[in-house]
This record gives sequence, structure tokens and C-alpha cells, in this order.
Amino acid sequence: MYIKILKNYLLGYVRITIEGYFIERLMNLCLKKGILLWKSNRKKSTLLETNLSIEDFKRMTELAKQTKCKVKIKQKKGLPFIFHKYKKRKIFFLFLCFIIIGILCLSNFVWNIEIIGNTTISREEMLETLKKEGLTIGTFKSKIDTKAMVNKIRLDRNDLAWIGIELKGTNAMVKIVEADKKPEIIEEEEYCNIIATKAGRIVKINALNGTPLVKEGDIVQEGTPLIGGWLEGKYTGVRYVHANGEVTAKVWYTATKKIPFNQTVASKTGNKETKYSVRINNFTINFYKTLSKFQKYDTIEETKKLKLFSDFYLPIEILKNTNYELVENQVVYTKEEAKNQAVEEAKKQLEEQIEEKETILNTYFNYQETEEYVEAQVTYEVLEKIGTKEKIVF
Amino acid sequence: MKKKKKKQNRFEEWLEIPKEISTEKPKLTIMGFEELLIENYKSILEYQDFYVRLSTYIGIININGFELKLNEMTNDDLLITGKIESIDFEKTVDE
Repeated sequence: MYIKILKNYLLGYVRITIEGYFIERLMNLCLKKGILLWKSNRKKSTLLETNLSIEDFKRMTELAKQTKCKVKIKQKKGLPFIFHKYKKRKIFFLFLCFIIIGILCLSNFVWNIEIIGNTTISREEMLETLKKEGLTIGTFKSKIDTKAMVNKIRLDRNDLAWIGIELKGTNAMVKIVEADKKPEIIEEEEYCNIIATKAGRIVKINALNGTPLVKEGDIVQEGTPLIGGWLEGKYTGVRYVHANGEVTAKVWYTATKKIPFNQTVASKTGNKETKYSVRINNFTINFYKTLSKFQKYDTIEETKKLKLFSDFYLPIEILKNTNYELVENQVVYTKEEAKNQAVEEAKKQLEEQIEEKETILNTYFNYQETEEYVEAQVTYEVLEKIGTKEKIVF
Repeated sequence: MKKKKKKQNRFEEWLEIPKEISTEKPKLTIMGFEELLIENYKSILEYQDFYVRLSTYIGIININGFELKLNEMTNDDLLITGKIESIDFEKTVDE
């Protein structure tokens, strides 16, 4: 029943009023001929309101003539009538079709590449490698064979442990896992020396296997062999071994910083202006003509990709330029202030290099003053293990 | 003749065919006081806002109420909605 009514909605139906004295007879005739009437309502004793499909309407009028009833159309409903209504608005339909076709065409291209999981590899570098394999912004989606691409990239690049490319809408998600660079593993049977990784003064040398080549208090350069991978015996002669042992040394880290007494410091005044422009692929349209009204300013650029729904990126970007006004102040430092600042900055630089801060033994300061600036040199003395294994090449 | 009919009845009972299909008796289903579905009816004798008279193969059904509407009307079933007050029957055929 409901399927029949739905079918009638799709093919169109009318609500009619029937006026006459023999309405029951008409209804029975309709039943016999198989004409479906629904939502019938008796308004008066001589008046009936009912729904009727378009197909049956012609047959109905014939039957109404037989029973001497008058038929009037009250309402037209259903899809055919809606279409008829919009027939006059051709341009509207044309543009609707254009938009639908446009969206369908645009959705076949990749408009955004998202790279997830990169820390040491830069985004630009990754985009470059993807470009070589044929995935750039604006490539046809069905041309992209993600499996072949992934295999090729993994063969080409050693620094990637895993890579996955997923196409979602017009968005290409590239997930990468970077591989850690593994130190060269030297097997137990192979012969090796232990050499210094950093320059420093030897504090303690403990050779488990092999001959120590340096003494405590010796100053070594980077690359100097510390423990030799051989043993000399009275009767056996020289015998090569896998050297093993620990070498600790004092290592110095130095940093120098120059601070001039007269400095210009730029600070924000709080005034700002924002300007918008639209970028389509590489073509930019500016919505402003004038230059900035500030004399000195910082510009912060933000880009935002337009997207429909969640994954359907469009090839249009909105650029937002924010200019912050700057004021330059001349600052004159005293000697003490300049010194302190130089030391602070040097310390900060050093502390980024040193991994373990507990092993710092001493700190040395060295100043050099001229009329224009103060130069501070900070040296950290750190106790560290400096030996690594290196294969002996015959 | 009568014997044959009885046999047929038994056969249908054995097949578990619903009675409204095998016989020409009308089936009335009332949902609440506002919906009435009648299957197996012959024709409409009278239809007014307050009164519906239907003829079936075994008699006449009268339905009294207010604002009665014939929601769905097909060859073999009829759905009446509205405030139904009473239903009564007039038997015409003796069995």
C-alpha cells in the first residue's frame, strides 16, 4: 500500500473534489476498474474529496460522466508537477548542473597533501620526493597508484622506516615513520680499535681487552686511537683482538657571545592591520592596493585552505597577512649588564649541547672588553666517556 | 456437494491457509478506537461523514462514528480512520 502511494508521488497525483448524488456508485465503479483512491473524505453529503494518481484521472472522468458527477482538481502534487514548475527557470537549472559537474570534476584531483610524522625530514623535502613519483597538488586521482609509489619511495629513501599514502576525498595523507640511523655494528669476532669521539684530557682508561695507547693526563684529539686492538706476547707475537674498554675524559665546551653596548631593540606597539588575498594554484589576487601605513612592521602570513565538508579540499587558499607595527628603541647597556647578558646567552647555548648536566665539573669565564662591545667566553668542563669502536682495516 | 466442501475444508486446514483467503468471510481488524481495517468486502453501499455501510459476501457491516475517512481503498481491503463509535452487522445469507 505504501509502496503504491510512493509510486504515485513519484509519478504525480491530484487531489480532487467530486460532486454529485451517486458518489457511492462512482466509488464502487472505481474499485471494480482498479482505480486506487486514498485519503477520501466526505465533506458534505454530495461532496467527496480524494486523492488520485494522474494515470487514473482520465478513466475517472469517464466514469464520473456516467454517474453524472462533477470533478474538480484541487491540488497537484508529486514530482512531475515540481519539474514542470521549474521548467521556466532554465538558467537556474543550467547553473545547478554546472556546479554539480564542477564539483564532480574537481573531486577527481588531489588538492592537498598532508604529511604526518616527519620530525627531521622537512615537509618540502618530502613533497619533492613525492613529486618525483608523480604525486603533486593537482594530479589526477586515478593516475595515482599508491602501492607502487610506496614501494618505490621505500626503495629510494633509506631514512624512512615506513610510508603510507591514503587518498581521502581530495586530500592525500602521507604518513611516514622515520628510521633511526643505527650505529655500525661491529661483531665480536672482528678486530677493532677504540678511538676518541671528542677532543679532551684523559682522566681514566680501563682496557678490558687490547693494549692501551694513551695514559692518564694525555690530551687527545678527535680520532686518536685510545685502545689498540692487538695484544703482544713474548712467544705469540702480535695477535689481533676485539678491543673493549672504557675511557673517560674531561671535555671542554666553549661558547662566545658578543654584546654591543648600544643596541636597537624593536618592540610591538600593539597596532596591527590585516590584509587578505586569495591564491588559486600559483596565481594571487590581492584585495588591497595600498602599502602598509606603518613605517616598520613585522608581517605574519597565514594560509588557509578552503574545503567543503571534512576532506574535500578546494584548490583555493586564503592568505591572511597581519602587519604589526614596530618601534625601535635605542638601548644603552652598562658594562655589567652587557656582561651578564653575554654570559647568560652563552650558557644557554652550551646547555643545549650537553646531555647530562650532573657531570659538569667546572665552568670558566673569560671576558674581553672594548669600547663598543663585551665578548664573553664560557667554558664548561665535562666528564664524559669518549670511546667508540672502529674496525681495523688491514 | 456438502461432503466435497467438507473435504476441501479439511485440506485447507491441514495446509493452514488463512480463513480470509480460503473463505469469503470479511476480516475486521481494529487498532485502538480510531483505525479499522476491513478485508474481503464487496462494495460500498453508503459513505457519509458519520456513517459507513459496506456490503460483504455474507452480509452488511455498519460503522457509526464521527469524521470517518477512507484512508486506503483497494479491491480487497479498506482502512477507515476516525472516531469509531459502533460497529454492527446484518446477516443476509444463511449457511
